[in-house]
Parts: sequence; C-alpha cells; structure tokens
Amino acid sequence: MFFRIMDRSRMPDLVRGLAAEYEVIGPIAKDGKFVFGKVEDPSDLRLDYDTTLLPPKKLFFPPEEQMMRFRVADNEVVDDEVYAAPRVVFGLHSCDINGLLLMDNVFMRDYEDPYYRARRESTLLVGVSCTSSETCFCNAWGTDEVHWGFDIFLTDLGDRYFVSVQSVKGAELLDRHVESREITSEDTEEFQSVTAAFKDSFSETLDTSQLPLLLDAKFNSPMWDELGDRCLSCGACSMVCPTCYCFDVVDRLAPDQKSGARERRWDSCQFGEFAAVAHGQNFRESRASRVKYRYYHKQWGYLSKFERVLCVGCGRCQRACLAGISPREVVKALETGGVQ
Amino acid sequence: MAPRVVVIGLASDFGCQVQMTNIEDHLLEVLGLIDLTYWQLASSGHMPDEYDVAIVEGAATTQEHLDLLRRVRETAGVVIAIGSCAVTGGISAIANAAGIEEGFALVYGERGRVALGRVAPASVVSVIDVDYIVPGCPIDTDEFLHVLSRALHGLRDKTPRQPMCFACKTRENVCFFEKGQLCLGVVTRSGCHARCVTLGRPCTGCRGIAPEANLPAARIVFEDHGFDAERALSYISLYNTNEEVVL
Amino acid sequence: MKTALAYQQAGVNPYRPWPARITSILDLTEKEKLFELRIIDDEVRGAFSFDSGQFVELSIFGVGEAPISISSAPSKQGFIELCVREAGDVTSALHAKRCGDIVGIRGPFGRGFPMQEMKGHDVLLVAGGLGIAPLKSLINHIHDERHEFGKVTILYGARNPDEILFRYQFDMWKHRDDFELILTVDVPDDTWTDEVGRVTRLFEMIEIDPKKTYGAICGPPVMYRYVIDEMRRKEMDVDRIYVSFERRMKCGIGKCGHCGVGHQYTCIDGPVFNYWEAMNLQEAI
Repeated sequence: MFFRIMDRSRMPDLVRGLAAEYEVIGPIAKDGKFVFGKVEDPSDLRLDYDTTLLPPKKLFFPPEEQMMRFRVADNEVVDDEVYAAPRVVFGLHSCDINGLLLMDNVFMRDYEDPYYRARRESTLLVGVSCTSSETCFCNAWGTDEVHWGFDIFLTDLGDRYFVSVQSVKGAELLDRHVESREITSEDTEEFQSVTAAFKDSFSETLDTSQLPLLLDAKFNSPMWDELGDRCLSCGACSMVCPTCYCFDVVDRLAPDQKSGARERRWDSCQFGEFAAVAHGQNFRESRASRVKYRYYHKQWGYLSKFERVLCVGCGRCQRACLAGISPREVVKALETGGVQ
Repeated sequence: MAPRVVVIGLASDFGCQVQMTNIEDHLLEVLGLIDLTYWQLASSGHMPDEYDVAIVEGAATTQEHLDLLRRVRETAGVVIAIGSCAVTGGISAIANAAGIEEGFALVYGERGRVALGRVAPASVVSVIDVDYIVPGCPIDTDEFLHVLSRALHGLRDKTPRQPMCFACKTRENVCFFEKGQLCLGVVTRSGCHARCVTLGRPCTGCRGIAPEANLPAARIVFEDHGFDAERALSYISLYNTNEEVVL
Repeated sequence: MKTALAYQQAGVNPYRPWPARITSILDLTEKEKLFELRIIDDEVRGAFSFDSGQFVELSIFGVGEAPISISSAPSKQGFIELCVREAGDVTSALHAKRCGDIVGIRGPFGRGFPMQEMKGHDVLLVAGGLGIAPLKSLINHIHDERHEFGKVTILYGARNPDEILFRYQFDMWKHRDDFELILTVDVPDDTWTDEVGRVTRLFEMIEIDPKKTYGAICGPPVMYRYVIDEMRRKEMDVDRIYVSFERRMKCGIGKCGHCGVGHQYTCIDGPVFNYWEAMNLQEAI
C-alpha cells in the first residue's frame, strides 16, 4: 500500500473525475437521514454522514433480484446473464467495507454466486474515515479499522486527506483526476493521532471474551425468552444488517403463464417459517429460538467457518429495532447474565 | 378446459373489482387462461350454477350474502377472498365497532328503515373457509395476478405472515415512530412493499393483523412512543373490527 | 465431497438447473413415488457422480425448488433415482409430471455417508418412514459391492404396511442370508407377518459387534434420540454413528441461510453428520 496527501479543497475534483468514467454512488441525504444513492453533483455527497439506512450490501446483493428467466414448457433457462455497470461507491466507512469482506466469504468462495461477484467486480470502493456515534460498537470486533478490500481510503486530517491507495485502479484514478503529494512524517503522525482519537471516542468497550463458548453454555438461559417476548418478528434487523445474507427464492410467472423469472429476496431468520420444512415441522417455532439463532449464527456459526464474527458493530439493527433489542445488550447479557 | 371463474361482489365499494380492470396490460392474457363466466362489476348476466373458481370481494351484510357464500363454498373448488372487506371485514365491519344496532341508530336515526335480512357485517373469511386471500384496500394488481396464478396451478397460499417493517426497511423509509407518528406497519401483514409509507403516509393496517405479529410487544412499542393501547386499538379498528385484537 | 465437474469450472452458475428427463415413475405408496431422471446434457451427465447421502435440488420452473436426497446407488451410472413424498408445492408438481417430462436438477450437494471409511466394516442401517430414501442409496451401494462390507443389518419401521417403501424389493431380501432385514410397523393389517412396534424394539433381536460396526440413521426428527440410545446401549462409538438431517433449504450451497442447524449448515456441512458432531450441534437432535 502507498499513501498520498490530497487537499480537502480537491475533493470535488476527485468526485467529478470519477463521475466522468463511472457511476458514482455515495452517501446522500434522504428525509433527515442518509442513504447510498447516485451522486449527481459533488455537493450531493455527504461525507459527514453518520450511517445510512441500508448498508452498501444493497448495491451488490439487492433486496429483490432476478436470478434467471425461464420457459415453463421445457423447464429451460432463457437468460441468467448478470449485467453490472462499472461504478464507484464513494465514502464507505470501515465497518461497511468490513461488512462486504464478510459477505465475500459467503458469496465468492465455494460455489461462487455469479450475481454478487459481477457487481462486486465491477465496483471500486473508496473508503472514508468516520467518527463514532452512540450506536457504534465496531471497536468491539476490530472493524473500526479496515486493512484491505478497498481501492482508496481517505482519512480526514481536517484540511487534507491521508489517502491510502491499495489497488492499481485506485492509484490510476487518483493520479488522473486529482492533485496529490507525497506524505511527510508529520502527515503520518497526524494520521496516527487522528486514528487514536477515533479509538478513544467510543463510549464503551464491549467485553466479548469467550462469546462463542458462552452462546453454547447459556443456550437455555431465560434471557432468550425475555428477548423473544420483546421481539416483533418484523425482520428489520436483518434487512439493515450489512452482513445478513439470507435470502428466499420465488418463481414468478408472466401473466401468460408460459415464462417467468426466478427471483431472490432478502429473508430473515426472525420470520416464523424460515426453518419450517414442507410437511409441517418447524425447527424454530418460538420467537425466542429465532432471536437466539440470529446471535448464535453471527457470533458462532459464521465464526466457526471464517474465524470472524458476522457483525461489524455498525449499530443499524439497534437503530431499526422498535423493541430496542441491540447486539450490545445481548452481548452484555451473555457476559454478565440477565437482560437490561 | 379453462377453469370457469366467477367474480362476486358483496358489501363493498367494488374498488377491488375496479383494480382488476386496472390490470389492463395483462387482462387479456389472463382472460385467455380462464373462462370468466360471471363478473358482477363488468357483466350483466346471471351467475351460473356451476363454476370452478370464485373470487369474492366485500363483506357479508345480509342473510342473502351468508347463504350465497355457503353456496359458493359448496360449488367452487377454489375460493379467493379479495380486499380488506372480504379478508378482515375492512371498512364494512366498522359498523360492528360501536355495536351494530347502536351504530345503525346513530347513523340512520331511531326511525331508520332496517334493510331486509340485515346481519352484522362479517368478512368472507369469517363465514366460510377460503383457499386464498388477497388482502388490502384496495388489492394490489400484481399480488392479485400472482395469487390467481398460484390458484390456477394448485399451489398453496403463500400470503406473507410477518409484519411489514422489513419491507419498509428495504425501501429506506424513515420510521414514522421516529417522527412521533403512529404507524401500524409493526403489526400489519406484509406483502404491499410498504407502499403507503413509501409515499409518506403511515400504515393504517388495511392488510389485517399479521399472523406472526407480536401484539403484546407492539403494545409496549406503542406506549413507549406515547400512544396508549386504546389509541392504538382505535387505529387498528379501522380495518380490523371483525376479529378481536388484544394488544 | 463430490460435486459435479461443471461447478468447478469458472463461470458456471450454481443456481442454474440442468434439464433432466423423467425416464420412469414408480408408485410406491399413496403419497410416495420413485422417479428416475436422466440429465439431458451428455457432458454434465457424464460428470455427475455422488456419494450416498448427498442430495440434489429438484427444480420445476414456475413452482420452485426442493432438496431431495438421492435414492439410487452411486454405481448406477447415467440415472438418478429420487423417492419423493407429495408434501409441498414442488413435490406435488413433480407428482403431477409424467414419463418423458423435463424437470431441472442441481447438484449433487452436501456431505454424504463416509463410504470409503465404512468399507471393510459391518453396517447397521436404521430407517423410519421416508428416512429410507437416502439410506436406500447406501443399501443399493452395499448390495452392488457386497464383498466390500461385513455383516449388514437393516431395521426399517413405518406407521403401517401401506407406508413401507420399496416393499417389493425388501420382501425378496428377507430371504437372503447376506442381509439381515427386519421390518416393523406401528399398526399392522391382516396381511402383515413381520414385526409390530417401534423400530427401537428391534434392537433386542439383533447382535452387532460394536468394535467393527458403522451405524446410519434416517427418519423423522423424533426418532433419532431413541435409536441413538439403543446404539449406544450396544456400545457403538459416537463417531461411527451417522445421522442424516432434513432442514428447509433454498440454495443448497451454503448461501441462503435456511438450513442452519446449530453452528453449521445442513446443505454443505451435512446433511450427514456423525453423532459426535450432531451432539455438538444445538437443536439438532
């Protein structure tokens, strides 16, 4: 990796330059909040955003997507091509880049998912440093830092950006569209102090010791019943999660019933029929068992395969949950016993 | 042989049948698959004695309706209830909220003439077993086509059972509770793509209470946001007086 | 884990089913039929190899997909047999198909029985109801390579005689001396001459050498615990008892998340687990 310094005032140049070659997507304002949307003008880009309503997973794994078109008569696939336009996602926080890396493990390893891969490979990622908010707990998992998976990462040093360049494309884009200079030891020192201040800004440090083990040891804890009683089974947590990848598959016939499309949609393990088989058996009938499974899979199931927890501490699920269930609270309950 | 289909309207504003005519783009394709022998809104003929599929809109408000529904159930292999009135009682069933007699007197006065055979409004679903439902006020044409397609192919009813917040999240709507407004999406059956909320209006519950809604937990949510259970229930009763809802 | 060659080639969409023709349909019971399928593409068919206990995703466009374990033996080349109960939309649509119709197949997926490991050992197979479907592949495989295995004992229970699957074959096998086969039903009829009662009751009728026996169990979820208890009573090792699970699945390839069992996915980590693994899977048994 190499580093450059870019003057803050150059930011519009960079965005305009990228927009000349790519579709640029970044955090933009919506109804008092932020979403990842098309950046029409550099002034749309709100790099001061706290978080977005949906994570960037929607750009790679859309809420609803056509997998293939088919013909009924001979059960044949007519079209399963994936068309992905070149684009740049600008302004990702480290939690969200880490979220994509966790999704990559699922979709780009064994049995590669062609839909996800096509979008992922056609997209450049530009990260940007952030400030912690009340619902953030990325510091618990080390996802407050990101070491790979981006093309360029911009750390805000006030009047300038400390630019980490990771890919050839990132280097070319920077070179082509914006004036930058080499880093000095003062820049690096300031980068370190900004990073340290960020780490100190979190309101608490979550104790996550022995978490997978505790999930098994406290599998029958009454805490799950308490959480189950509160859970609305609405699935909001799964939708807004940057790492929830579960989906349902449905066939939709065209009105003439002769052709149709096989589609997939985001699903949630909190829905009652998520684990029900065709002849009636439901392996997770109670709300408590479903709430528990969400955490069991994130902190242990995924970890058992990829050695990382399936959470980046973005806090979106806590914000989205009307019942106020938060992963921080669940982790604390596991560590100390008892739900607050 | 194409299945013989009848479309029947009970007490309602026929809005869902109007929605069916709005399928315009695909209506002819759909009509090519079925033998539409009777459509109350669009035809002047009489209902035949035999048919395979009955699509019923509206709530039962007279003895004649009740008798008709029982006959429909005996005759049709497949019954599809469409719209809030048929599925949850909808607007028609609001008459039950204050008590049917009291309500009648309130609206029409002491000397109001009582319609012959008048009964307390009831959803189709509460009178007979139905095979498929298309909830909503009015129905969504895409959902209707999808359900009709499933019915024609003998596939099971797959109306979503969970409340709709998840769908609202995928549309990136800001939650109405955050804006201090009461929204019934938290207990209402999904399947509408959170259309109203996306257009800027809180959910009024026209698709009925989601079978998987956690009502006691929702009560706490309502109360935490400054809406007591009574107020929430009065919102819910707009479309859901046909069944007792306990928060 | 065996996977069809095509999936290992870059650019192949693992969600895309291969057209397969139904070459034979056999009515087994009122609700179960045995379908024989032949993948139409020569290359894909040639590359299709599997282990007993693996499954395929059966695809009927317009209806959906369902995971179905393969009932035929891996040694049967060119054809795949699926024993299917009419239970949901996909299986009902399959039941409505006729010989010559085309359906879709993806797979084989999952981890099957450890066939290499089991060779040279005695085998005790216990099936309940439709659980015979995946075990049938193993049974046929053992039959085809009988000399590779020691003593083979099959215990098979169903609710009533009409629900005993593959009875035409088992009735013949009862008289063979290279298989010990015991059938039982909960509710017998006038014609029933075999055992009556739960499959667990049959354990008192058999003798096994726990030091050299592999167990394989498949049946309704409630059955596992009781059968495992009996096997443990016979002092069989926990890691030589294999169980096959059924869970809801959409993708079959470890993505859609539906088949989670404890910290594993049934589709890629199972559906066959040894009992030691299963013991350590929450909510598995």
